[in-house]
Amino acid sequence: MSISTDPAVLSAGVARRLPGDLAMWIFILAELAVFGILILAFAVTQMLHIDLFRESRLALDSSTGLALTLGLLTSGLFAALAVEQVRGARQDRAGWLLLAALVSAGVYVVLKLQEYGHLAGLGYGLEYNTFFTLYWLLTGFHFLHVLLGMLILGYMANRCRIGAYAPGTSRSGLESGVLYWHMVDLVWVLLFPLVYLLG
Amino acid sequence: MSASKTLLICWLGLVLLSVGTVALGGLGTSLALAGGMLAVALGKAWLITDGFMELRHAPLFWRVLLFGWPLAMAGGVWLTLL
Repeated sequence: MSISTDPAVLSAGVARRLPGDLAMWIFILAELAVFGILILAFAVTQMLHIDLFRESRLALDSSTGLALTLGLLTSGLFAALAVEQVRGARQDRAGWLLLAALVSAGVYVVLKLQEYGHLAGLGYGLEYNTFFTLYWLLTGFHFLHVLLGMLILGYMANRCRIGAYAPGTSRSGLESGVLYWHMVDLVWVLLFPLVYLLG
Repeated sequence: MSASKTLLICWLGLVLLSVGTVALGGLGTSLALAGGMLAVALGKAWLITDGFMELRHAPLFWRVLLFGWPLAMAGGVWLTLL
C-alpha cells in the first residue's frame, strides 16, 4: 500500500499522511522491538555488573564513537535530501546524493571495522566478559543493519541513474528505503551513549 | 522554509547534540550527567523522527508511536541507573 504524498499538499494542510509504504513502517517497528530488547538487556546487565561495565568501557574511545555517529547522521542527511530531489524531478542529483550517503556510511563501516580489529587485537573478544559479549552482539547486529542499508542505498542510487523515479511513477519504494536508513540512525543515537558513555 | 533547509537544520542540530553528548560524557559519571545524555539522545531521536523521517507530516498516532520507542528506551535505561 502506497500512502506517500507531496510536501506541498501537506503544507497546505490538506492531509496528514505517512511517507513510504505501511509495510516498511511495520517492519521498522518490528526491528525497533528487537533492538529494544537488546538495549534493555544491556542496561539491565550493566545494572547488575556496574563496575565491570565501567572498567570495560574504558577500552572504547568516545571520539571514535562520535565519528561513527557523525558518519551515520551525515549519511542520513544525504539520503533525506535525495528524496527531496526526486520529488523535485531531479533524479540525477538524487543519485549523486545517494552515492554521497553511501560514502558517508562507508566512513562508519571503516571506522567500526578498525574499532573491532583494535578490540579483537587486545583480546576483548565475544567471550572476554559480559560487557564485551553484549557489546559485540549489540553493535554487531546494528552493523549488519548498516551493511543491509548500504545495499539498499546503492540499489536506489542505481534506480535514480536509470531514471526509475520519473515524475508520475511511485516514489514509495525510495521513501521506504530511506526510512529504513533513518531507522538505523535512530537506533544508533540510543546505542552510542549507552555503550560508549553511560554508566 | 524549504524542505532541504529544514533537513540541513536538523542535521546541524544532530551534530551539535552529538558533540554535546560526548562533552557530557567527558565530565564524569553521575546520575545527573547520565540523565543529561539520555535527554540529549531523546532530542536527537526527535530530530530524526520528525525531521529526517518526516513524521511531522504524519498522523499523530504514528508520530507518538515512533517517538515512543526512544522515550521507552531512555526511560528504561534511566531506571536501571537509579
